[in-house]
Amino acid sequence: MRTDIKVPEKYLPIIDQEACIRCKRCIKSCSYGALEFKDDKVRVKDGCVSCLRCVIDCPTSAITVVERPSSYAPHAVFSPEIRRSIMAQANSGGVLLSSCGANAEYMDIFNDILLDAAQVTNPSIDPLREPVETKTYLGRRPGKVVVDDDGRIDLDASETPIVVMDMPIMIGHISLGSISYNAQAALFRAASELNILAGTGEGGLHNDFYCHSKNLCAEVASGRFGVTSHYLKEVSCVDIKIGQGAKPGHGGHLPGEKVQKLISETRMIPLGTDALSPYPHHDIYSIEDLQQLISVLKESTEYSVPVGVKIAAVHNVGAIASGIVRAGADFLTIDGLRGGTGSAPRVIRDHAGMPIEIAVSAVDQRLQEEGLRDKVTLCASGSIRTAADMIKCIALGADVVGVCTSAMIAMGCTVCQQCHRGACSWGIATQVPELAARLDTEVAAQRVINMFHAWNEELKEIMGAMGIDSVESLVGNRDRLRYIGPNPRIAEILDVKHSGEGWG
Amino acid sequence: MYEYEPRTASLRGPEAPHGFSERSYLVDIPDRHKPRHGSCGIAGCMNIDGSLISGSRIEKMITTMSERENGLGSGFVAYGLFPDFADEYCMQFLFENEESQALTEETLSEWVYMIKDEKVPTFPQSGMSPPFPLVWRYFVRPKTGTEAYVRTGLSEEDYMVRLVMSVNDSVPGSYCVSSGKDMAVFKGSGYAREIAKFYDISRYKGCMWLSHSRFPTNSPGWWAGSHPISILDWSVCHNGEITSYGVNRKLVEMAGYKCNLLTDSEVVTYLWDLMVRRHRLPVTAAAFAMAPWYYRDIERLPEDERRLANQLRITYKEAFLNGPFSILVGRSDPVTMIALADRKKLRPLVMGESDDGNSVYAASEECAIKSVQYDARIWATRAGNPAVVKVGEGIVRRGTESPFLGAI
Repeated sequence: MRTDIKVPEKYLPIIDQEACIRCKRCIKSCSYGALEFKDDKVRVKDGCVSCLRCVIDCPTSAITVVERPSSYAPHAVFSPEIRRSIMAQANSGGVLLSSCGANAEYMDIFNDILLDAAQVTNPSIDPLREPVETKTYLGRRPGKVVVDDDGRIDLDASETPIVVMDMPIMIGHISLGSISYNAQAALFRAASELNILAGTGEGGLHNDFYCHSKNLCAEVASGRFGVTSHYLKEVSCVDIKIGQGAKPGHGGHLPGEKVQKLISETRMIPLGTDALSPYPHHDIYSIEDLQQLISVLKESTEYSVPVGVKIAAVHNVGAIASGIVRAGADFLTIDGLRGGTGSAPRVIRDHAGMPIEIAVSAVDQRLQEEGLRDKVTLCASGSIRTAADMIKCIALGADVVGVCTSAMIAMGCTVCQQCHRGACSWGIATQVPELAARLDTEVAAQRVINMFHAWNEELKEIMGAMGIDSVESLVGNRDRLRYIGPNPRIAEILDVKHSGEGWG
Repeated sequence: MYEYEPRTASLRGPEAPHGFSERSYLVDIPDRHKPRHGSCGIAGCMNIDGSLISGSRIEKMITTMSERENGLGSGFVAYGLFPDFADEYCMQFLFENEESQALTEETLSEWVYMIKDEKVPTFPQSGMSPPFPLVWRYFVRPKTGTEAYVRTGLSEEDYMVRLVMSVNDSVPGSYCVSSGKDMAVFKGSGYAREIAKFYDISRYKGCMWLSHSRFPTNSPGWWAGSHPISILDWSVCHNGEITSYGVNRKLVEMAGYKCNLLTDSEVVTYLWDLMVRRHRLPVTAAAFAMAPWYYRDIERLPEDERRLANQLRITYKEAFLNGPFSILVGRSDPVTMIALADRKKLRPLVMGESDDGNSVYAASEECAIKSVQYDARIWATRAGNPAVVKVGEGIVRRGTESPFLGAI
């Protein structure tokens, strides 16, 4: 019995037949098979995802992709999105997959926050004329330096393993597997060049990438793919991944068809097998177990690198964070609900967790209340889209921000949300060799470098305007933020005053 | 028809017949019309041999810089003030009324033994706006022998800090403005000359004086929020605005201090107490944490100093006072004056030394020093570089040396 009913198409490529020179490049570009050449014309089939590869490749700009008008009769409650997903589910009987971050408008608080600037009573600073510093450290801080009985500072006893970065930015964990070799090579090269950190993701580290290891943060996730003591000792810090903002409570999932030779070698798993990370770490069922894993990793790296923990922002994130710091984590990463993913059930992507704005402020406040904030580095990620988001996130309490999707966009990604299908037309989220080859590593790396360089310049400009000449004086400086959104209760929870409220 | 008058004529003003160099007419301008471009003024003087200085000297210094204030607060602190009670903590309070005094005394009796108490003489001035607080002074000794004290697990000093915080936080209308040994703070809302007269500063003699006149901007002008802001024997006169206040407050609150004086300056006092008394940092290291060198300059330091500089920036990044400031910091045992400006030196700070080397001065402006010691040798501290002067030892640092001289 056939139960399938066709789900109405969402996008419509329109070909300007007069402009079209019939070069058929678009047909080659489309990795979703949405175009064909028939009767001497480029014609549209089903399946367009609006990735825009054909639009950009077309030498005569003859293609426009539009959202199909009036596919569904208008309804205020049953939006086309909801109707489409119900139909897809009725067809397949399965969990709907999606990728990238949560696709829901109601969760953006960054846009409701305004920044301060210096006027009269303190001078603003022009970063082109005077130094404004963005050097950032990641790792455990001792809280105080050790002073011996003669009143001299004992440096050997005071120093802890610490990572120095030139910007308060880390490229988030994106595994080889979820993205192509070329894409990961570009990100790592950019991180080295910028002297910032990049996450390896949970797929281990390919032999070719050890040259970047001083700028890499190794991820130890529940699947432990590719984790060896050699690997852990080579990188500059180690991150235990408990959860991810896009799918809190879930583990990574790499389908067998993506596990080709390159991935199988790096992850140390057989060719073609599904790489399914368990939902929890099966050696961590409690905070004590986490403490043991932290100790094990510190032992195996001989206490030479910081060991951190990454969790998804969930409702009780403050208390969990404090437990993690007490368990010995040197740095802590909170991933908000809008955070990206290469593949996640849509239901959890869009509905579970907490926006990073609230989470980072809650954790910063909680760690401060418990007197732990000056011991640990707090990283925050989950849709840090622009320099403005980064600055607001730092002022809400983060030492370092993690960025993924924006770096993808810099490389060419258009956020069409089809990463889970492995057919990325831009050569980023795919393992198909012909598609992956579309990404020029050098060009992509330079574009990522350009973007972060610009962000850092914007950070300096904003700090200068605030009269702040070093980024640590912005961290958790919620005094310099004001809330202008619709719900003053959010301002209260963020510990940010409402716009119009003065200093005292 | 109208008569053409060149515009430059009105710039000079009717009271200035002698041209631009003649400034005497400024003296007659009422306070409310005085130029408002200034900011706070700070001044300090001390004698290295410990001999006493009359309050009228510091009064002269601070009132000379009258353009730096707007009548919303001023204050003085004297060290070496109570030789007869040098071992007792002197807690000086501003009370709103008798009721707040009674409540405070009730609290004090639980925490400390009262050795002596006295009213601080005050003389309300006609230009000042009432109501005036009741000012009272208590010489106390903490009840360290009791079981309650042992249960707190605190050192004597931390116990006193907690007492001060708890009175300021929870007793309505009562503010402890100083709580150190052999020192006291005299401050309030008014011009420096009014506050000096209100307390009759000239009746006191101390081996070191610091003072402040205020031009508050971001915080309200009120009695307890005036400077110096003091805890234990620390006192701080602060001219500046802290752009990193939210960060600094986080650090001191984690260490148990409560910020309740509605001014960003109080974190400076608590930071000194935290870093130097509790963490036992050398003064130069604490000053470096508050006004650290740029990384590009740190690179040029010798290896050991570079390591220390980086470690201080990592460990005490929340102690970094960003934004413009110059501060005078006082401390007893031995009586010490620390003068420090921010790392860009966006606020003024000059030092002066008498010919015989016994008297040392610090002020926002040279005129304040020259007004009491016309032949003083003047020098300027460098950005982010502390000058340190101690009774009995002399000038330990001039604020022009390498950052950690003597610290490592």
